Amino acid sequence: MSDVPFKNPGWAGNTGEFDLSEEQVRGDDFVGDRPRDGGHASGAGTLPYMLAEKAPEAPLFEGEYRERFEKILTRYPTKQAALLPTLAMAQEVRGHLSPESMDRVAELLELSPAYVRGVATFYTMYNKRPVGRHLVQVCTNISCNLNGADEVVEAFLRYTDTELGETSKDGNFTVIEAECLAACGFPTCVQINSRYFENVTPDQVARICEHLKSQGE
Amino acid sequence: MAYPYVSEHEVRVLSRHFGDPQQRRIDTYVERGGYQALRKAFDMGPEKVIEEVKASGLRGRGGAGFPTGVKWSFMPKDSGRPHYLLCNADESEPGTFKDRELIRWDPHQLIEGCLIGAYAIGAGHVYIYCRGEFFEVNQILARAVEDAYAKGYIGKDIMGSGNDLELTVHQGAGAYICGEETGLMNSLEGRRGQPRVKPPFPAAVGAFGMPSTINNVETLAAVTHIVDNGGEWYRQYGTEKSPGTKLFCVSGHVRKPGNYELPLGFPLTQLIEDVCGGMRDGNALKAVIPGGSSVPIINAEEASRCSLDYEGCVEVGTMLGCASVIVMDETTDIVKQVRRMVDFYAHESCGQCTPCREGSAWTAKILRRIEDGRGTEEDLDVLMEMTQQMVGTTICVLSDSVAAPVQSSITKFRDEYLALIRRGERVGAA
Repeated sequence: MSDVPFKNPGWAGNTGEFDLSEEQVRGDDFVGDRPRDGGHASGAGTLPYMLAEKAPEAPLFEGEYRERFEKILTRYPTKQAALLPTLAMAQEVRGHLSPESMDRVAELLELSPAYVRGVATFYTMYNKRPVGRHLVQVCTNISCNLNGADEVVEAFLRYTDTELGETSKDGNFTVIEAECLAACGFPTCVQINSRYFENVTPDQVARICEHLKSQGE
Repeated sequence: MAYPYVSEHEVRVLSRHFGDPQQRRIDTYVERGGYQALRKAFDMGPEKVIEEVKASGLRGRGGAGFPTGVKWSFMPKDSGRPHYLLCNADESEPGTFKDRELIRWDPHQLIEGCLIGAYAIGAGHVYIYCRGEFFEVNQILARAVEDAYAKGYIGKDIMGSGNDLELTVHQGAGAYICGEETGLMNSLEGRRGQPRVKPPFPAAVGAFGMPSTINNVETLAAVTHIVDNGGEWYRQYGTEKSPGTKLFCVSGHVRKPGNYELPLGFPLTQLIEDVCGGMRDGNALKAVIPGGSSVPIINAEEASRCSLDYEGCVEVGTMLGCASVIVMDETTDIVKQVRRMVDFYAHESCGQCTPCREGSAWTAKILRRIEDGRGTEEDLDVLMEMTQQMVGTTICVLSDSVAAPVQSSITKFRDEYLALIRRGERVGAA
């Protein structure tokens, strides 16, 4: 795609070139991080839950998280409907969904543990085992594939010195292939934790990884 | 920096403010005439709103193209039960990236459309089911909803009209099948996102067992403008049977991929050549998928006479779907790309129906064998026969979506399959 005459103004300049400030892309009053208690109940179930900071032993559903859970419950006519947001919250706190976390969610929502596991395993975004600080998901579906997504995957694997689905020795990166991320016009799209990096080419991979490591994000 | 995905051919109605980050601020939105359509809808009353949407001829933008006004009129009147409006923002169809742009650049346009829709069908609560991967889109949307609550556009007694509406943003968790309407309802209810047997249809038994309607993001965003300007105004764009404008998501081997809003009925050739700056590196066109990966592939000749509306696509043997135009040039390895699409469906099959669960996996396996140069000509017959048995035999159409690329590519690009089978040679670049 060397003859594309412009860069994609994706999120926060996440173009691999880092050439736009967050303000330029998002507007000056955009609040990137909503409060941990969920803010207004209408959006309490929508906080990022693919964060770099992962604390596998952190307490679940206490303090602000408890408040958020209570808010989520008020938005649905049934308790069960809070299952997806609640699982997401557990993953946000601990980085993945352990059997213990799922049991705790089951208890909270008065569902059977087996049922909760059945639901959790249906969805790809719940990590059923620990992942690296940066979960790198490279879209290799058709539009990205037509533009060299396979090479981008290889570049990530080479840089992180790991196998597909495994975590690098330093614990920084887990690289997996993802299905279409709905950024087909900006190939190759890579989702790293909660963020999209667009128009990624293999030669930018090292810089993106260095950038992530240096930010400690 | 100006938004680069623009063309003189565009009619920017929904995408008018793409690239302007100020549009997300509720004050800016209201200054520019926002939430006037909602006020107007309250004055018109629910039935007139439905009539206006019917008059506009707006057809569902999620892929099926069902007339929106007609769909709304299926909702029972005075059922005495809660009604729900669901907005499908679980955009996952390979090739589609319009909803993400619609929400992230202009969230209030969608919120206003949702509120109008909810009012029209007598729903008290709107759920926007937003794709899980869209973390930042979710943040923007949640923020916009919060602002709209604070300014009194959502909640109790909206703008002094006496109408109460609630709106909740629900984040998905990664499953393509949740974009199917009943799969989405199951997912919203905290279940596996497996589609339900119909009937009963959602208008009778939908989310939480109550009458529900589900519309795509683009559909509801268009409703805002239809109520604002009238159904007749909307009909000035597009064709008689496919009125209005549509966001075309162009990806693949064009010079300027992106979202372009064009009147329906726009010629595909002109979209590629004039709007998207032609093929990359001046290569020749080989194939196009005009409606996302679930519709049949067309070759260059068919593409040359394809007009981009619901009827025009059917004429050349494909479907408009959600207007996700995937363009492939002469270097494309069709077998590999079809295999990649089938891999996707095999991965995303919910596993309820045998033809889909088994069929998609078998199809992927046979395609991989052919790709590796170990296929036989009989494999092509098996693929055709097997995928035929996957059409219309399952609860939802995911299974049919496997058949579309496989059957159309074997029919139209048989030579490429045969080349791989006979010589283990791959056409195009590796």
